[in-house]
Amino acid sequence: MKQLATLWRKWRQRKHADVVNHKPHMVKLPGGEVVQVSHVADCMGATCPRPQLMTMRILDAMKKGDVLEIISDNPTTVETIPALAMVLYSQHLATLHTDNGWCIYIRKDD
Amino acid sequence: MNKESGMYVDLTTDDKSKGWFAQSENRYAAAIIALVSIGSIWALSQDMRWLYLLVYVWFGVAYGMFLQYGRFCMASAVRDLFAVGVPRMAVGIMIAVCLYSLVAAFVKVSGFNAFHPHPLGWHIIIGGLIFGFGIVFTGGCATGSLYKAGEGNMGSVVVIFAISFSQAIFVVLGGWFDKLAPASWTESALNKGMPAELSVDQGWFDLFTAGYIWDLKGATLADMLQVTNPFVASFLTNSLLVTILPAAVILVLLYTFYFRKGHMRRQKLEQPVMKDHLRGIWAMITSSKNTAIAGIGLGAFAGLHVWVTGLLRDHYGIFNFGEMLANMGHTAGLSIQDTVFDPGYWYITTQEAQWGAWVMETMGMNMRDNIFFGLDNGVPNPLINAPGFMSIGIILGAAVLALLRREFKFKIPSLETAVFALIGGILMGIGARIAMGCNIGAYFATVSNGDPSGWLFLLGMVGGGYVGVKLFNWWIHWQASRSDDFAL
Repeated sequence: MKQLATLWRKWRQRKHADVVNHKPHMVKLPGGEVVQVSHVADCMGATCPRPQLMTMRILDAMKKGDVLEIISDNPTTVETIPALAMVLYSQHLATLHTDNGWCIYIRKDD
Repeated sequence: MNKESGMYVDLTTDDKSKGWFAQSENRYAAAIIALVSIGSIWALSQDMRWLYLLVYVWFGVAYGMFLQYGRFCMASAVRDLFAVGVPRMAVGIMIAVCLYSLVAAFVKVSGFNAFHPHPLGWHIIIGGLIFGFGIVFTGGCATGSLYKAGEGNMGSVVVIFAISFSQAIFVVLGGWFDKLAPASWTESALNKGMPAELSVDQGWFDLFTAGYIWDLKGATLADMLQVTNPFVASFLTNSLLVTILPAAVILVLLYTFYFRKGHMRRQKLEQPVMKDHLRGIWAMITSSKNTAIAGIGLGAFAGLHVWVTGLLRDHYGIFNFGEMLANMGHTAGLSIQDTVFDPGYWYITTQEAQWGAWVMETMGMNMRDNIFFGLDNGVPNPLINAPGFMSIGIILGAAVLALLRREFKFKIPSLETAVFALIGGILMGIGARIAMGCNIGAYFATVSNGDPSGWLFLLGMVGGGYVGVKLFNWWIHWQASRSDDFAL
C-alpha cells in the first residue's frame, strides 16, 4: 500500500514535459552547417496538440534568424512540425531521429 | 517529409552492420508477423471458414501499417486546422476518401458492395460534435488510438478502454435516462413490434434507435436520384458528386485559407496567376509525402476490403458472419436474429463496444435486453469477434512498422494526459453511438460510398473540434500562467 502511494505521488508529479529553457548551444546539422540553438522546446512524452502549440508560442517570442530545437518522442508531432513551419513562415532545417526520439530544428525566417 | 523543407536523418545507434536479424527491433517485428501468420494457419487448419475472420485480421494489419507510415492522425485533421493552421491531415483524408470512393464504385459495379447508407438526421451532427470535442483531448481518434497503442503509447490504451466501456454502458442505460427520450419516441418504438425480451420501452438508446432512427431514411445519392445505370450510379453520381467534388472543394478551401499566403511568400509571387495557384495546391498535397502515400494506400485497401468480404459472403452464401458462426456451433454471442456485428468494411467503434459489453456480461450484467446488442450486434467472445480482430490487427500492424522504423517506445502518460484520455474517450464513445459510427464508420466509409450523411458528421466533428481547441488553448494558458517555465 505504501509503495502504491509512492508510485501515485511519483506519477502525479510527472512533468508535462514541456519545460522550455533558453540555454543556447551549438548544433551541427547533417549538411555540415553549424547553427546556434537559441530556444529549446522539450516536448518529451507530450502528445498532440501540445507540442504544436508550444512551438507556435515560442516561435512567436523568437527573433528573426533564431533557431528552435523541438525534442519529441511522438511520431505524429514529428510529421506535423515541418508542415507547421511552412505556415509559420519559418524554415525547417532538419529532423534527427535519435534513440530516444527526435530533435527538430526550425529557423524563424520572418 | 519534403526535401525542400529540410532533411530527415536517422541517428539511431543500433548496429546496422550487425545484419537485419541481429537487431532486436527487427526480431520483434518479425515475431509479430510470425505470430499472426501461425495463428492464421492454425485457425484455417481448424476450419477453413475462419478465412472470413482472417480477412479482417490482415486488412487490419495493412491499415495499421499505412496509418503508422503516414502518422495518419485523423484527429489532427480537424484539430490542427484551428489549433495551428496546418492542413496536412485534412489533405491526407481528402486523398483517402477519393481513392476509397473510386475503388468502392468499382466494387459496387462488380456487385459485391455490402455498404448500407446511414439514416439521415440531426443525431449525426450532434454525435459528430461530441466526438469531435472528445478527440481534441485524447490526441487521437478511435483508429488513431489503436495505431498509437501499437507505437507503445499507453495513453491510447486508456482511450480504447474508455471508448469500449462508455459505449457499452451508454447503450444499456435505463431508468432516469429514459426521460431524455420524448414520448413520441416511446410510442413509435412500441409500434415496431419488437420481441418482449428486448424491452424496447426501457433503455433510452432503445427508444432512440427504434423510436427515432428507424423512422429516418438514408440513401446514397444515386438511390435518391433513382439512377439505375450501375456505372452512372456508382462512378458519376456517388463517387464524383458525393466524394470527389466536395473533396476537391475542400482542398481548394484549405489552400485558400491555410496555405496560399505562405506559398506566395515562399515562392516570392507578387501577382499570382491561376497556374501558380494550381502549383500551390499541388505543393500543399505533397507537403507531407508520407501522409499522401498513406492516404492513397488506405483508400485503396479500404475499397479492396469491401470487395474481398463481398466475394467471401457470396462464396459462403451468407449475409452476416453470425450465420457462419451458428453453422460452426458458436451460438453463445449471437443476437436473437443470429447475427453479429459484421460491417464488411473498415469500422472501429462498434466492435470496441462489444469488447466492453463482453467484459460486463462476463461479470454478470445483462447486456442483451436492448436493440444494439440483443437484436443487431450480439456480444461475441472477443476470440471470435471478426471486426474486433481488425482492431487488433491495426495495433499489431502499427507495432510492426513502428519497430522497423525504430519509432516504437513505451510511453506512460502523465496524470493530465491520462485524465484527458479517459474523459475524451468517454465522450468519443457517446458521440460515436449517437452518430452511429466514428470518423471511420460515420464519415470515411459513408461519403466514399455515396452516402452524403458523412459530410454532416464531418461538419459536426469540425464544430466540436473548434470548441475543443478553444478549451484546450485556454487550459494550456491557465497552466502556463501558474508555472514559471516560460511566460507564454
